[in-house]
Amino acid sequence: MIILAIDTATGAVSVAIANGKKLLASAHVSSDRRHVELLAPMIKNVCKQADISLREIDVVSVDVGPGLFTGMRVGIATAKTISQALDVPIVGISSLDVLARSVSTTERVVLATIDARRGELYWAMYRNDNSTCVEVKPPVVGTVSDCIVDLVDRGQATLIVGNGALRYQTAMAQSLEETGLSIEWASEQLAQPSATVLALVAAERALLEEWQTAGELQALYLRAPDAEINWLTRSEQTRFAT
Amino acid sequence: MSTHELTSSSFDELVSSSSVVFGIETSCDETAAAVVMGGRDVLSSVVASQLEIHARFGGVVPEIASRAHLEALTAVIDQALQKSGIGFNRIDAVAATVGPGLVGALLVGVSAAKSLALVLDVPFVGVNHLEAHLYAAMLDDANVEFPLLVLLVSGGHTMFVEVREHGQYQIVGRTRDDAAGEAFDKVARFLGLGYPGGPAIDAQAHLGDAKAINFPRAMINDGLDVSFSGLKTAVINHVRKFPSVATADVAASFQSAVVDVLVAKTLRAAEHLGARTVALGGGVAANSLLRSEISTACARKDFRVVLPSLAMCTDNAAMIASAGWYRLRLSGPTSLDAGAYPNLGLTCAI
Ligand SMILES: [Zn+2]
Repeated sequence: MIILAIDTATGAVSVAIANGKKLLASAHVSSDRRHVELLAPMIKNVCKQADISLREIDVVSVDVGPGLFTGMRVGIATAKTISQALDVPIVGISSLDVLARSVSTTERVVLATIDARRGELYWAMYRNDNSTCVEVKPPVVGTVSDCIVDLVDRGQATLIVGNGALRYQTAMAQSLEETGLSIEWASEQLAQPSATVLALVAAERALLEEWQTAGELQALYLRAPDAEINWLTRSEQTRFAT
Repeated sequence: MSTHELTSSSFDELVSSSSVVFGIETSCDETAAAVVMGGRDVLSSVVASQLEIHARFGGVVPEIASRAHLEALTAVIDQALQKSGIGFNRIDAVAATVGPGLVGALLVGVSAAKSLALVLDVPFVGVNHLEAHLYAAMLDDANVEFPLLVLLVSGGHTMFVEVREHGQYQIVGRTRDDAAGEAFDKVARFLGLGYPGGPAIDAQAHLGDAKAINFPRAMINDGLDVSFSGLKTAVINHVRKFPSVATADVAASFQSAVVDVLVAKTLRAAEHLGARTVALGGGVAANSLLRSEISTACARKDFRVVLPSLAMCTDNAAMIASAGWYRLRLSGPTSLDAGAYPNLGLTCAI
């Protein structure tokens, strides 16, 4: 089973091709908002490296977020259209699942985080069960202090991974030290989700046929557009006023 | 980016009258896909409008537009293909709008078009949205002769374009402030007529007297540029001064002032350039008064006038596929590392 994996949910563009769980080729470039320029040529090159024609692909997988909205959409639009044109299924995986899977050998609870900007994080928590990653807290968006409260409430030894927490590492480490919780930080190299791990998770899901059609796949934003938030607040106020 | 040179058709072998281009348009608030053969023959054209999603905000919200494009994308591509009666394997090139437009919205269509081109192993063509509006006018009329003067009027643009030959354009006049469609939207919002403003004002104007209020026609006898911000202010001042004025009269008088200026400048530009054919393009080209007045004025001067169908005035992908076919013949394929260019000018190469 040939899998094409695409990850553009953070500042990086990452592409991998695998045959089942065997990685054939991959590329990872820090892009800083050049997702659309980089992605198509990278897919072409990775296919070439793997000596695979795009037409041989059996499953497309993509990071559906949460993450950078514009970046995510480049990857998702690309994956959807490849899946549609090839008439093959698509596997959507959250950026937080990919991060957690990259540290799946730990005994600790895993806190996976993605930078949501404006002092906020996207996060979810996982625990390893017979080398499979089980989600114990579904993805949410919130402030750094909300995230710390969440950790303290759980009260278990934790491994923190991802560019969200890394951005606030000093402040978070300080607050957490006072709580006496055992905290470990994953390497900075794992800060962004990578397509090689994504391909691995996709291979596992595809075996179980946990896939969708291109039309069904949806992005995982977790945060409403600003205009919608403002509009709701405004209509709420008018409702109270009248 | 550089200005287009006089181009010999060095890519003639890439396209023929039977070449099929798949077009994708996502620059603003319409998700559209189309299949066009030989640059003219529209096999299908599907448009999913986001009008209702944005209406409550009184204008297009970029993040909401980008999300809606991604959601509509697969179904729109699928329908365009189904309706065309051809299969993916019959497609010879894939074109998408790369600018100007909302960057987040453009990225969705550009990503889709590149990946479709990649899978089908055919050229990708980046299309300038403004150039595509010029082709929209020609899609409905097989006998357009150059030089051609096009009035391109929409919510984002108001310009007078001389088309000397395929790919050779010169903007001879433009708005110095608001686009005409923007003026319609702002005045409609002020009058409480809702969004989008163009159709709302057009409908109200039918019920009112266009001579009721003599609004200013800025620079009507002066050059080829236009300005609408003074007119908008005049409307607001008039309504504040005479609160009991009939809304329909204001709408009719405002619309008549806009149309008078647009028609006068279009005719002047055409005469000045020696163009015998005049065409309209863009969303405001759907305005009923503009269509009738420009027809009357052109008939008086013995100019030929090309009025695109309403579906070709508003954003669609048939015009993208058509422009893509001509662009492919003139300049060849676009590199897969092209981006999205939110401020792309009409005469900028991609
Ligand atoms: Zn347009």
